[in-house]
This record gives sequence, C-alpha cells and structure tokens, in this order.
Amino acid sequence: MAKRREEGTPYEIDRTIHEPARLLVTAHLYVVESADYVFLMQNTGLTWGNLSSHLSKLEAAGYVEIIKEFVQKKPHTMVHLTPEGRAAFDAYRLQMKALFDDLPG
Amino acid sequence: MTDRSMLRAIEKRAWLRTFEHGMWDVGIGSIFLLFGLSIITEFPALAAIWVASFYPALRQTGRKLVVPRVGQAQFRGRRKRAMANTTWILTGVAVMGLGTFLFMFWQSSAAETPAWVEWITQHFVIFIGLIWGGALAVSAWILHFPRLYAYGALMFGSLLVTDLIEGYHLGISLTIVGGIILVTGLLLLLRFIRKYPKQDLTESENHGQAT
Repeated sequence: MAKRREEGTPYEIDRTIHEPARLLVTAHLYVVESADYVFLMQNTGLTWGNLSSHLSKLEAAGYVEIIKEFVQKKPHTMVHLTPEGRAAFDAYRLQMKALFDDLPG
Repeated sequence: MTDRSMLRAIEKRAWLRTFEHGMWDVGIGSIFLLFGLSIITEFPALAAIWVASFYPALRQTGRKLVVPRVGQAQFRGRRKRAMANTTWILTGVAVMGLGTFLFMFWQSSAAETPAWVEWITQHFVIFIGLIWGGALAVSAWILHFPRLYAYGALMFGSLLVTDLIEGYHLGISLTIVGGIILVTGLLLLLRFIRKYPKQDLTESENHGQAT
C-alpha cells in the first residue's frame, strides 16, 4: 500500500520517475537488462538531447548506471537500471495502482 | 490496460523490433541455399565452409547494419533463454543436416547397404522436412517470431513435394526454399535500412557525455 501524507499530496510520488519522458525511459529499461542510447531513442521517440538530460537526472538519483565503453574504437554507451532504480519503479507502479484503485466508482 | 500488460506490450514491441531487420532470414535462407547447392554440386564441404566463414561474416555485417540504426539491448529472463535455446536448436539442426548429407554421400559410395539404411534413405527427405520444418516452427514458438512458422511450413511442404514427385531433386528443392527465405530477408533488410537511417554514434555519444 502506498504511503499517505498527513497533509498536502495524499501520495508521495517519486517525481524523478513520474515525469513522462523519464517514465518512458525507465519503463523501457525495466523490461530489458541493459540498452544503448540508440535503442532507447528509437523506442521512446526522444531526441538525443532529451534522452541525455533525462538519463543524467536518473543517474543523479542513482536509478540508472551509464557505462561508457569502446567498441571497435567507437564510443558506445550502455545504460541499465540499478537495483535502487528497479525498486523505485516497482514502488512507483504500486503507488499509481493504489492511487487509481482508490478512486470512487 | 493494466500496468503489467503495458510493460509487457513495451517489452514485446522492443523484442519484435529485433527481428525487423531480416538478418535472421538472410542467415537461415543462405544456409538452406548452400545445403541445396552442396547437394547439386556434390560438394558437401560447401555447407561447412558457410558455417566456418560466411556465418561469422554475416554476423559482423548484421552488427554494422543494425546496431547503428536501432541500437542494441540485452533482454531479460525468458527472452534471453529463448534466444539461447533457439541458437542451440538451429545450430544442432544445421549440424544434423550436414551429418545427414555426409551420411548420404558415404551411403551412396558404399558397396552394400543394410536394410534399415535403405529404408531411411527411401524416406529421408520426409524426415529432413519434418526435422527442419519442425525446428523452425519450434523456434517460431519459442521466440514469438511468426515468420519462422511460414518458413517451417514452406520447408516441410517443399520436401514433401520432393518426396512425392518422382525425380524431383532435393538439392533443387532446398535451393528454392533457401532462395525464397534469403530474398525475403534481403527485402526486409532493404526496408529496414530505408526506415531507420543510420545514427551518427560518435556525435550521439559525445552528446551523451556533454550533459
């Protein structure tokens, strides 16, 4: 069950994940083990700039790990959800579910 | 739609995109084509040469064409197992096919043939059709990759016809089936290249580092 606040917002929603573009990125990373920038861009429809800035925010929150490597002398970046990111996404899902389940008929 | 089924839909869409490029079709088609040609030319090593040289080259080409366009992802759990299982099934069937041809060549040159070998030889085209068609259908089921069902049916149907029509050559049958699958793969690959322009990886990676 989601946590209820005493006052203000009834549910503590993780705003890092809640933002639509980041939610899309996190959802795609949740269903795979890891993915590169091109994969995320193609599947989310985000531009490079957008994707980079959202991934930076997710990385700062400790939800994703960005691994930069060189494949055949070309830079290649893989991204994956950290255990904290996965747990945060699970918690977010449950919160949203609880929020909508509580709506009166 | 529940949150779980939405996530499943996201995962399925991303997974199916990994088959959009047609490289699987090119790989499968070319191996059947070369099996067919190896029978027609009576040069069984042709298929072995494919496994040793052409297949790794095809994988490399695939990587160069596909990854810069749609990127790459490591899938989780059942998808990962599905890919590993299918690779084993198709490799096993390819090796079995190669073994069958070597057996055929050995049998045709042997002076005396045992009765059971004679029986297998008489019906072996049907066996091959069942094994290869079945392997493609099982792979389609494991991978959720519907085109492979069609290829399995095409393979079995073609080899059934070969068995029924007197004098119809197995090599020609395999070459035609392999050719059809190969051409389908190449057409899909062309469509894929047009649909997804190549991303400049260097620029994008630098972009990623800048933010």
